[in-house]
Amino acid sequence: MRNILALLLMFSATLLNALGPDEIIRRLEENQIHETAYSEGRMITTDKYGSITRTFRSWARGEEDALIEFTSRGEEGQKILRTEDEIYLYFPDAEDVLRIQGSAMRDSVMDSDFSYEDMTGGKSLLDDYSAGMEGTETIDGNECYKIRLTAKRRSVPYHSQLLWIDSSRFTWLKGHKFSRSGSLLKEMKADEIKEIQGKFIPTRIRMEDKMKKDSSTELILDTLKLGISIDPGTFSLEELTW
Amino acid sequence: MKFLLALAFRNLTRYTKRTVITASAIAFGLGLFIVLDSFLKGAEMESEINLINYETASAKVMHPAYLGERDNLPLKYVIEEPEKIIDILDGNSIAATPRVVFKAELFVREDPYPESGSVYVKGIALDPSRDDEVFRLRETVKKGRYLEEDENGVLIGEWMASDLGARVGYPLTLRVRTRYGAYETMDMEIVGLINSPNPQINKSTVFLPLSTADYFLDMDGAVTELALSPGLTFDRSRDPDKMAGQIEKLLHTNGYDLQVHSWKKLAPDYVAMAAMKSTGSRIILFLVFVIAAVGITNTMLMAVFERIRELGMMRAMGMTDRQIRLSFLLEAGGIGLIGALGGLIFGALVNWPLVEWGWDFTPMLKQMDIGYRISGVFRSMWNIPTMFRAFFAGIVIAMLVALFPIRRALKMQITDCLRDE
Repeated sequence: MRNILALLLMFSATLLNALGPDEIIRRLEENQIHETAYSEGRMITTDKYGSITRTFRSWARGEEDALIEFTSRGEEGQKILRTEDEIYLYFPDAEDVLRIQGSAMRDSVMDSDFSYEDMTGGKSLLDDYSAGMEGTETIDGNECYKIRLTAKRRSVPYHSQLLWIDSSRFTWLKGHKFSRSGSLLKEMKADEIKEIQGKFIPTRIRMEDKMKKDSSTELILDTLKLGISIDPGTFSLEELTW
Repeated sequence: MKFLLALAFRNLTRYTKRTVITASAIAFGLGLFIVLDSFLKGAEMESEINLINYETASAKVMHPAYLGERDNLPLKYVIEEPEKIIDILDGNSIAATPRVVFKAELFVREDPYPESGSVYVKGIALDPSRDDEVFRLRETVKKGRYLEEDENGVLIGEWMASDLGARVGYPLTLRVRTRYGAYETMDMEIVGLINSPNPQINKSTVFLPLSTADYFLDMDGAVTELALSPGLTFDRSRDPDKMAGQIEKLLHTNGYDLQVHSWKKLAPDYVAMAAMKSTGSRIILFLVFVIAAVGITNTMLMAVFERIRELGMMRAMGMTDRQIRLSFLLEAGGIGLIGALGGLIFGALVNWPLVEWGWDFTPMLKQMDIGYRISGVFRSMWNIPTMFRAFFAGIVIAMLVALFPIRRALKMQITDCLRDE
């Protein structure tokens, strides 16, 4: 009996390792990218002074385009538009559109632990990073591939990242982002995964700045609809000011 | 003339109270002007010296795109192979030192610090072997020691250290972005605490060796600026912009498309504040003029109208209008002289302790930035030319404003003057 168990364990380990790290990342991205998506949610920013909750709704198309509109009282009407490698901010009080570029991309979004750079996403991880398998680990009872991503170029913000990717659902459960010297800068965790139209999507994400004490941002998607029809003009600068 | 002088002097002593009150008003105004002008002039002079010695140098060589973006302290616009440019400048008797200026977030953690926290700082990486040729930072080390090459050591200001609860030997971490935009963390140790006469340095600047920053920031030997000192002492009589232009031309001749900016261009906030101060001085001078003018006009009006009969009699006895006008003008000039002399003495007496010991603004400057590059004690200076100008202005103004009531009195008929009650 003991031999059979050992054999089964070996067999399952072989199966897990059968997929290469590049393939795992590809499957992760297939799971994360949607033709169109609409969501409503909350962003809770916590630091040593307390918490602030901001509500938003957002529209996304493919891996490039996204529009976030804040609906909470203090930020009502403020919008963030992401197109291919460009980010624009719209402030309704000033009726002004600001293009985020250069060093401003490093600033945090509404004092959260996410930077504009974190939001640019767009490109596949494999364009910027080389992926390597670091084995498997279990997180909250889920078997995960532990993948190390190492920057291919000096211009990539995080020199390396560790991703824990659920081996059955191909969604990430945990991520660590490191500086070139190896310090842990940020930790992201998926506290809740929902299956929507056959895709497994993190709907409760926590990002922590690990260099700061008591600093975290929780992103909660209360509503998420995939495959909806979105007016193509939604992701244009002209529409941003409306 | 002798008679007119004697008459004016007699009139001054006849109405002693009036003379003293009017002269006091002039003295107070002038004294205030002298003190304020000396104080601002002293602050301006010391600010310029501290700005040049600790912040801007006399001029800086930069990438052509750097100045427009300098608020973001970018590492994108750099000077490659700075050693070659330093050699050219050395050959022309211009001392130059390379520096890399960057943005950083400084982190400290509980134990040994009282509490964990972070603060945004300006990082300045310098060459410890060359920096003294241009800046005087080494002299400001109050505790610990100065930087050594290749070490993971930093110097921070005593003000910042006091806010953080930092001491020499304490560790800290700097989170930076490299020249190419990647995150990097630098674990450093505080090797010294500085207290510079320039508050900008004390508040939020961290100094570290150039070689260390070069590795962590991926600079590959490039720097963001070359700070220059064209002589041992900055020659204020020379136009700094002109001097910068000449050095820029020299670099262009040697095939370097770089810009050279004078300290005036590098510290626009300070230059704007100095211009504002100049406007302020002019306003004070104008107020002094108003005080003097109102005082003298009133005094002279009273003096003239009280003596209308006397004036009629003088005219009836054959004194010409010119002589009478001159006698009153001399009287006004006398009041002006007493007032200006009093103002000079009053101003000098108040100014003396300010020159000698100054006025300590440390508690205020720790909390707010008023633009001056002075970290604590503001010292006045003796601005002798301005003091003499103010002295003569007091006399001339007094005489000028007296013209109006005299003119009015002289328009009256002699008979009307003699009938005046």
